Amino acid sequence: MKILNPRTLLSILVLCCSSAFAQELKVPQTAVDGDGVNIGTTGSGSATLYITGPGTALKRELRRGDTISLTGDEIAYAGRYTAVLKSGSETTAQNFYVVAGKPAKLNFMARPSRVPVAQPNVISGVVFVLDRDDNLVTAPTPVNFQLGVNGSAAASHPVTSKNGVAWIKAASGKQEGAAQFTASIGDVSAKRVVQQVASDPCNLRMKAQPAGSSIEVQTEPIKDCSGNPVPDGTIVTFSETAGAHGRSTVDARVKHGIARATLPANPGATLSVASGVVLGNEIRWGGGQ
Amino acid sequence: MKLGAIVMIVILLLLMGAGTVQQATKHANTNTPEAALRSFLDQVRAKHWDEAYSMTQPGAGVDKDAFVKDLGGNNGSLKTISSLQNENTKILRQSSNDADIRAELQWSTAVGALHETRDFKMVNDDGEWRVAWPAAPKSQAVAKALPTTYLRWDVVQRGSAKDEWGVQNVEPPRMRIISMNAIENQGDVVILGEVVNEDTVPGFVAINAILLDKDGNSIAEESSFDKISHTLLPKEISPFRIDFPNRKLAEIKSVRISPTNILVPAAADPVVGVMNQRIEKDQDGKSILRGDLVVQGGQTVNIPHVLATFYDRTGKVIWVSDGYVDRALLPQQAVPFTVNLRDDLAGQVQNYRITVNYYNSNRS
Amino acid sequence: MLSISPVRGYSPGKASTTVTPALPMAAIAFLVLAVHGPLLLMQLPAASEGGSTQIFLAQHYAQSWFNPWNEKWFAGFSQTGYPPLTQQWVGLASHLMSLTAAYMLVQLCVVILLAIGTFRFARLWVDERSAGYAAIGSIFLGSLSVLVYQAGDLPATASTALAINGVVYLYGWARKARFLSLLKGLLLLVAAATADPVTAFFGTALFALPVIVAAWMDHGDRDVDADRPSPIAVLIRAVLMLAIAGVVAVVVLAPFWPSFFTQHRLAIANGSRDNFLLNFSSAVNYWLIPMGAVVLALPYIFLSGLAERRLRPLFFAFYIALIFGLGGTTPVARIVLGRFYESFSLDRFTFWATLLALPILGELASRLIERYSIKASIGLGVAAVLTFAMPLAYMAAHPANTNPFRTDPVIGFLNRDNHDRFRYLTLGFGPQFAEVGAGANASTVDGDPSAGRTLPEVAAFGVTHFDAARNYGSDGMEALRAVLKHASQYGLKFIFVRDRYYEPLLAFAGWRQVESYENGNVTLWSKEDVPPARKIEPTTVIPYLERMLWGIVPVLCTLLAFGLILVTPERRRTAETIPFPTAETTPRMQEAR
Repeated sequence: MKILNPRTLLSILVLCCSSAFAQELKVPQTAVDGDGVNIGTTGSGSATLYITGPGTALKRELRRGDTISLTGDEIAYAGRYTAVLKSGSETTAQNFYVVAGKPAKLNFMARPSRVPVAQPNVISGVVFVLDRDDNLVTAPTPVNFQLGVNGSAAASHPVTSKNGVAWIKAASGKQEGAAQFTASIGDVSAKRVVQQVASDPCNLRMKAQPAGSSIEVQTEPIKDCSGNPVPDGTIVTFSETAGAHGRSTVDARVKHGIARATLPANPGATLSVASGVVLGNEIRWGGGQ
Repeated sequence: MKLGAIVMIVILLLLMGAGTVQQATKHANTNTPEAALRSFLDQVRAKHWDEAYSMTQPGAGVDKDAFVKDLGGNNGSLKTISSLQNENTKILRQSSNDADIRAELQWSTAVGALHETRDFKMVNDDGEWRVAWPAAPKSQAVAKALPTTYLRWDVVQRGSAKDEWGVQNVEPPRMRIISMNAIENQGDVVILGEVVNEDTVPGFVAINAILLDKDGNSIAEESSFDKISHTLLPKEISPFRIDFPNRKLAEIKSVRISPTNILVPAAADPVVGVMNQRIEKDQDGKSILRGDLVVQGGQTVNIPHVLATFYDRTGKVIWVSDGYVDRALLPQQAVPFTVNLRDDLAGQVQNYRITVNYYNSNRS
Repeated sequence: MLSISPVRGYSPGKASTTVTPALPMAAIAFLVLAVHGPLLLMQLPAASEGGSTQIFLAQHYAQSWFNPWNEKWFAGFSQTGYPPLTQQWVGLASHLMSLTAAYMLVQLCVVILLAIGTFRFARLWVDERSAGYAAIGSIFLGSLSVLVYQAGDLPATASTALAINGVVYLYGWARKARFLSLLKGLLLLVAAATADPVTAFFGTALFALPVIVAAWMDHGDRDVDADRPSPIAVLIRAVLMLAIAGVVAVVVLAPFWPSFFTQHRLAIANGSRDNFLLNFSSAVNYWLIPMGAVVLALPYIFLSGLAERRLRPLFFAFYIALIFGLGGTTPVARIVLGRFYESFSLDRFTFWATLLALPILGELASRLIERYSIKASIGLGVAAVLTFAMPLAYMAAHPANTNPFRTDPVIGFLNRDNHDRFRYLTLGFGPQFAEVGAGANASTVDGDPSAGRTLPEVAAFGVTHFDAARNYGSDGMEALRAVLKHASQYGLKFIFVRDRYYEPLLAFAGWRQVESYENGNVTLWSKEDVPPARKIEPTTVIPYLERMLWGIVPVLCTLLAFGLILVTPERRRTAETIPFPTAETTPRMQEAR
């Protein structure tokens, strides 16, 4: 039985021989960023090795048969590399991939930088996981988000990154102050500050007392519904409606937690207080009061 | 030819005389009350205070310093950077001894043209008409020390060029347009509304509006310009008005509003109270909103700007008007103001709110 | 140098029996160099009211000769709103030196040309020696000093200098029908019109009318001309020349007229229109200082001008110019100029009045020197120097720019970090407004008030110069408000303020102060929501032919005129009376024997 005819046999022989000669470059399929890579060659005589890749172009003179070592710094960018060995008129090329190394850096975007307390889903954090050479680590990696104001326990939210990105939406805490928003992977972490500020005033109350020919109105310490004092400078509007005398208004500023203003003393006048869209109590100024 | 030279010189002198007499009589005629008032206003226009004061009724107890302050302003008020541009006088009443004249005065000021209606009383002083200038009321303010706790926000920016990626400066404050209304008024389209600073830091806001036609094309673009209080403290509300001259609501399909808000340094002082606000009719029977401005602290306000928001019974903003006050606000001293209200809307106004904006010459 | 051709050897009062030789023109030119050269080298006109505007406009011609669309002012405007000649010459010269130096060079040439023109014009009325004194007088004129160093009005001085030279050829053409005189005169008059048509119109009228009358009066004078042309022919030729010059000027300046006649512009209050009897400071600034010592000679001008029959046309022209120059002191200028009265600076008439008086003053100088010799020379010299120096002293005491400052930081800001993507505005920069325009790459919505495009928003107010908006009164401030309202449309983001008067409006309108320069003298205000400026396409398309005529004819006219004058000098005719030799001057013959 004749399995192969002579022509076929000759063809296979030529192919094997030529492929044997083509195996001049030995490169790994993949390399990890930072680890470096060895590229082996076969044969004899001098040759030139060219390496091209993302942001990289290298040239080495060598003798065939030598093994060339590329350091981690020389192939710092993840992606597809091509090694070309040129010897005389012969040229051989091989491709290999450099993949991102272990997470070494987190690019962390936290929004907003300032947020009212006790609001659901108002804080967003996005982390891009990078290796030491800023290559995106696309392998799923657990990222731990933590949010907490100094002095209180931080809430922890583990998230696994997807294609190098991990994100979270969180509610603001009840306590005002500079909240530490931290994203971490192992011992690698990034920290941002989200200022948690008081929300709208709650239970806005004022009191009034005569001051000569005027009325001095003053709020009680103004706080939001979580008990945080509203920041100084917040506008509090005192109004007085007094029939024929018309209406008087003063946009007072909160200072040291309270707002005060002076209004004309008109008997029978109605005094009211508001801040933004929040209304406070009313006082009717009459008689001897 | 000496005669010829003399003739030419005489002609020249006659021409000079004609030009001078013509101008001089125009400026110094006090034969009639109206002419006397015009002469007086000419001196005011030229800021010749001595001459103007000399045309007032002598012995009427008018303090010259107060007279000059009244007409020329002081304390960096708008009057100090104004000049009389035009006047239109109308005799209301005249007898042989006195006359009442209403003058529509147009002032050229640093913020544009300002119109003032002022009634002048003229008296006949031995055949020469003079202005009976009202004596200024004595100030009731008592000197006292007022505590002031300065509150101020400053913005510290990070250098932008070398920022780490993903890190940025403090965000702009949250501003929200809480109401908006488009109306047609005297051939113009007007966008009215209110904007509030919901944040805890002061912000600067400007509002641009673009009118779009049925095909979505832009047909006009305008801004709130000075019909808004640009710097808003936390929880402060400002009205805004954007005028589109010579437009009709029928040709507009939609309006694209683009507010701009940024974090700015600001000061919480001064606090200006708006007292005794009431809607009245002025001497011409037009509706006006009148009141008094009082600085509650110890600071001076050079140029106050009053913005009035008018609401109907449903709480919808139906008109926004504004007016500059030409007197400076001194601590604890009431300064009157008026803001025009459209007569056709006066009946619909159920509520109103005054916002006081200001400019201080020492403010950066 | 131009040759001098005394058309008529007129010698009033038979003063020509003098033996003193006439002053050579070269000496007069050198005197111009000696007097004006150092001041121009110091670049004094650069700080004048209009100097930097001329330099700005010239810069555009230096960069883009045939394209009149300049994007740097009015958010884009056509320079055809400004007569081109002087700017084109400055632009041409700027290829060899700096723009400012080029301006000074052109101004120096103009003063030389004016002195030559004055000599040639005076030569029509008085003898050569008196004409020489008139030419010297023109160098020291207070009114010239005001125009050159205070007003920076290069176009007006150039137009007058060209017109006065052209008018001399009008005499030659009208009387002798010389074609070359017609050609030279036409070229000079057209050039004058392209420098400043308004000046050329009034100036030519004032200088040409007495010349025409003189030419008409001289027709029967056998001493002057043996040809004795008919008076009608003289008149027709004169009118023909003026008409041709007018038509050519109208055609060449075709793109200029629409903006000149159609745009309503509000004028800034100008002291030259005041009543000088009621306003002393205006009288000093706009009349006494420009007139200088001429005021002292007024009685002589009246007496002598009317005494000689032939001088009367000149006197009447002077008289009219004098009355107009008195501004609002007489009602004449207001009645005659009508709607143009408010937009016309009447000190130009005083300039012409002094120029028209110079022949008579030259004759006076000649007589005084003949009679009092050195004493008169010293007295006249002192009067001339004082007349010339007074405006400079007044300018130093009351500078047009009261507080000059460095514009480099402003220009530097506009030229860095892509700031030129936005437009800018200056407020209160005064004469240095144009300096910023010339240095900055960015465009402004403002421009020089004398012409240019009026933005649609401000057309109703008639105000074109926002930098001085407050000077226009409420119209000015309303116009400024109108353009600020449309800041977003124009990309108007940056406003440089040097006058705190404007700050309240900017603050209320939403601009915020972001920087300050020159120790707070200049502040920069910015608006956040303004997008980058969009390019504005030319509002009017100027036909190719008109653009070519605009670019070529003005400079060509001057080149051809000067070329012709140099190539075909008119023969100098000695019309002077040669005095009979006296004993002292008898030649000694002994050695010859």
